Amino acid sequence: MENKGEDRRVLVIGAGIAGIEASLLLANSGARVYLVEKNCYFGGNVIKFEQVFPNMECATCMIAPKQQELLQNENIELLTLSQVEAVEGSVGDFTVKVKKRARYVDMQNCIGCNACLESCPVEVDNEFEEGLTKRKAIYIPCAGALPNVPAIDTQNCLRFNGKDCQACQEACMFEAIDYAQEDEELELNVGGILVATGFKPFDLSKTTQYGYKKFDNVYSDIEVERICASNGPTQGQIVLRNGKAPESVAIIHCVGREEEGYCSSVCCMSSTKLARFLKDKLPEVKISQFYSDLSIPGRAYQRFYIEVRESGVDFIRATVTEVSESGERLRVNYKTEDGKENTLSVSMIILSPGLEPAVDSLELAEMLGIPRGDGGFFSEKEPDLDSVDTIREGIFVAGCAQGPKDIPDTVAQAEAAVGRLLSLSR
Amino acid sequence: MGKRIGVYVCECGTNIADNVNIDRVIEAVSPLRDVAIVEKYGLLCSEAGKEFLKQSIKEHDLTHLVLAACSPKQHEMTFMNVCQEASLNPYLLQMVNIREQCAWVTSDKEEAAEKAIRQIRAAISRVRWHVSLEKKEMDVCPDVLVIGGGIAGIKASQLLGSPDRRVYLVEKSSSLGGKVKGFDKLFTAMDSGSALIEKEVKSLLGAQNIEELTDSEVEQILGFFGNFEARVAKKGENGERNLSVGAVILATGFDLMDPTGLPQYGYGKLDDVYTSLEFEQMNMPSGPSGGKILLKNGKTPESVAIIHCVGREEKGYCSRVCCVYSLKFARMLKSQLPDAKISQLYSDLCIPGKSYQKFYEETKDLGINFVRAAKTTVTQNTKAVAVKYEAENGSKGELAVDMVILVPAMEPSGDTNRFAEMLGIPLDEEGFPVAEHRLLGPVASSVEGVFVVGCAQGPKNISETIVQSEAAAGKILSSLVPGRKLELEVRTSEISETFCTGCKMCISVCPYSAISFDEVRRIAVVNEALCHGCGVCAATCPSGAASVKNFGFPQIYQEVVELVR
Repeated sequence: MENKGEDRRVLVIGAGIAGIEASLLLANSGARVYLVEKNCYFGGNVIKFEQVFPNMECATCMIAPKQQELLQNENIELLTLSQVEAVEGSVGDFTVKVKKRARYVDMQNCIGCNACLESCPVEVDNEFEEGLTKRKAIYIPCAGALPNVPAIDTQNCLRFNGKDCQACQEACMFEAIDYAQEDEELELNVGGILVATGFKPFDLSKTTQYGYKKFDNVYSDIEVERICASNGPTQGQIVLRNGKAPESVAIIHCVGREEEGYCSSVCCMSSTKLARFLKDKLPEVKISQFYSDLSIPGRAYQRFYIEVRESGVDFIRATVTEVSESGERLRVNYKTEDGKENTLSVSMIILSPGLEPAVDSLELAEMLGIPRGDGGFFSEKEPDLDSVDTIREGIFVAGCAQGPKDIPDTVAQAEAAVGRLLSLSR
Repeated sequence: MGKRIGVYVCECGTNIADNVNIDRVIEAVSPLRDVAIVEKYGLLCSEAGKEFLKQSIKEHDLTHLVLAACSPKQHEMTFMNVCQEASLNPYLLQMVNIREQCAWVTSDKEEAAEKAIRQIRAAISRVRWHVSLEKKEMDVCPDVLVIGGGIAGIKASQLLGSPDRRVYLVEKSSSLGGKVKGFDKLFTAMDSGSALIEKEVKSLLGAQNIEELTDSEVEQILGFFGNFEARVAKKGENGERNLSVGAVILATGFDLMDPTGLPQYGYGKLDDVYTSLEFEQMNMPSGPSGGKILLKNGKTPESVAIIHCVGREEKGYCSRVCCVYSLKFARMLKSQLPDAKISQLYSDLCIPGKSYQKFYEETKDLGINFVRAAKTTVTQNTKAVAVKYEAENGSKGELAVDMVILVPAMEPSGDTNRFAEMLGIPLDEEGFPVAEHRLLGPVASSVEGVFVVGCAQGPKNISETIVQSEAAAGKILSSLVPGRKLELEVRTSEISETFCTGCKMCISVCPYSAISFDEVRRIAVVNEALCHGCGVCAATCPSGAASVKNFGFPQIYQEVVELVR
């Protein structure tokens, strides 16, 4: 099949920063892009961050122009609430089945005024906010999420559970709520495929020593990212579950590294970034970072680390053996490399878990016929050489789906995959 | 011709209508000078709304348009297209965001109306000074100049060469392959680097439209994205070649920091202190020792210390790959000298990524001694080399070894800096060329159409280097399509010949290198192909000569006066 120039069609799976960058480049070359995203919003993990290292840029502000550009690009079809169900064929001629779940809100009519949200009587935990706040059964995950069109969560919506509620439809001035929408099965023909499904954090419930979910003041780093976020559950106010600001914080690195068997590349920097953010917001806060080896490779990162250390953040090379609660405070027992044991009392603990391949990676890998290697990440064809190519010609992988990495390395891989896709079949 | 300004207020369903007293707004705006028509509409962005707008523009013969509605981020493009359809120049439109900036943030309907009136008045006042602007296109050359024939340059060329795109791969030495061809083993598979290069060069020869220019130096690059002119000279030959290309990839690699500047390591003074690249060379079967690891006296070493992070403090950054290649060295030593005692003196083990921990653990299991060390010094003992260090708890340690391998920091090659200067790319605090955007544009430089990849861009391993080469290729394949013209920014800067004093301040601040100096007329000149209309020059110009089209003094002044009045 001819798959060149204007006729080129590409499937991109995952609309995080890698998928967005790749789609825009592909579309600008004249290719037709189908961008499949399983969530009702796009932007991936990056939009959860208030600021990103090392320049402490606002992540949403950084990525929103790209998202807007993508939404307005006529060569890109963004398929939200969608998942790839089957892939057949070979390079130049893949047939892909995609299941697109109904949003029940018309994308054209909705103007994103949120009147429907206010009217909905159902409240459930907001998973985007790590359960730190509630959302309605018709919802957008957070302020500023794109596309700015709510979706109905049928698991919790009264109407989809046999009740006669149409509150959202009554509240909508634009006839955008459409309960009759149905899931769609799409069949796409594409010449190449890019897997950009990203990461999920290591499951902290597999640990016991840190008291996660047992003690109120032990948080995961993503939870703290949301607490720091101006569009998050506390509007950026750094407060604990008891409503008080923390006066001392322990950040524990490398949670899950031993279980995973690899270093997740970015946690040293993201932990240091959280320390910097907390220090900026709460100048009096005392912060201690518990780490084993600092992995801050490349330009600019060392300078960032030194600045944070000099702002009064303690870096303690030690293994945390146990966390216990004593009144409102937490006790961190730790052991340094020379075997000495010590204790630190803090009001908050932040756990920095490793990065793992996103959920559903196993199913997707099997569907695509790509093996998974170290840590369950998608395997490249030639390890240590070409990291975006897979053993299946025409199928490429970019970003954290291939292995843990930071934003510039993710973007570079996305652009590299575009290089490979656009030079295909010539 | 008299101006006829149309003002349309969008109710945005109930979003604006419920929170702003629109009738009061219309009443206040209608009598203003040059306002031909003021109307409200339910939802201007709907299909019916756009049609209404189009007809209304024609019917009232409007010359300028003010839309009080939502954020221009949401619908400016939509309405610019409507203008186009109604034969009104789209740059004669000004949007006023009375939804996000007014309706949604002001609780009192009358206060909101007052604010909206002020905003609309300002827009009317500004749009009156807008001029029609036209989209421009430029012919471009799709060919690419790749500077540096290492693995990065080779890989980029492979992707870019095609029947309709010529690639010039310029290498200053006599053969392609860069540093990698001098590595006998590559981590983690421990395959040969020279064999890899041989394979890649072979596939390069089979590829289309790639011209290798070895023994050649790029002497000058002029021009801009889509239309560069490069002058290339071949060593030992008279005459130069002028190449026309649309984009440039800088893949000039790295140098090691010279450890002679750090006397504590004894390099250059003690016989058996080597740099990592010297150790690589020692292992090459084609090298002086035939691949044997030997001391200067011809004996094999019984003990070796590998010292990490040499020059890290001075450089101010971690060189990213040294920990892993030091593990590789330990394996090379162990496979040739199974009884040798090998120590790694390191500060922090930096082995990021999914596969290196395993590589580390397997290497450690070979019996390698890992010592966390600081303040390391190397001196000569009577029999051996003494490596002294300080452990983390402050205690002192000492190792007597036969051989020391220093692992120095990586810095951009001298050529990188020369080319950065030639192309007008500033260097960052660490001495590497500044990227277009540190996070979102890692391989694009601050000069459009020039890409910096591989170790020229920052220390990295082979796979990361290849990724960057392919990334630059991806950006070029996406933007420089053979046969397609390049659409230029419309709202560019312009510099008035009359007012320019030739002080060159605009040239020094322009982030896109879009302004040059006309030596004949003694004035600064904007290259519209490069200008992004950011306005930094306009803000800097002391004589008011520089301004951005439709964002000049009259537009901004008139707008602000009405806002604060």
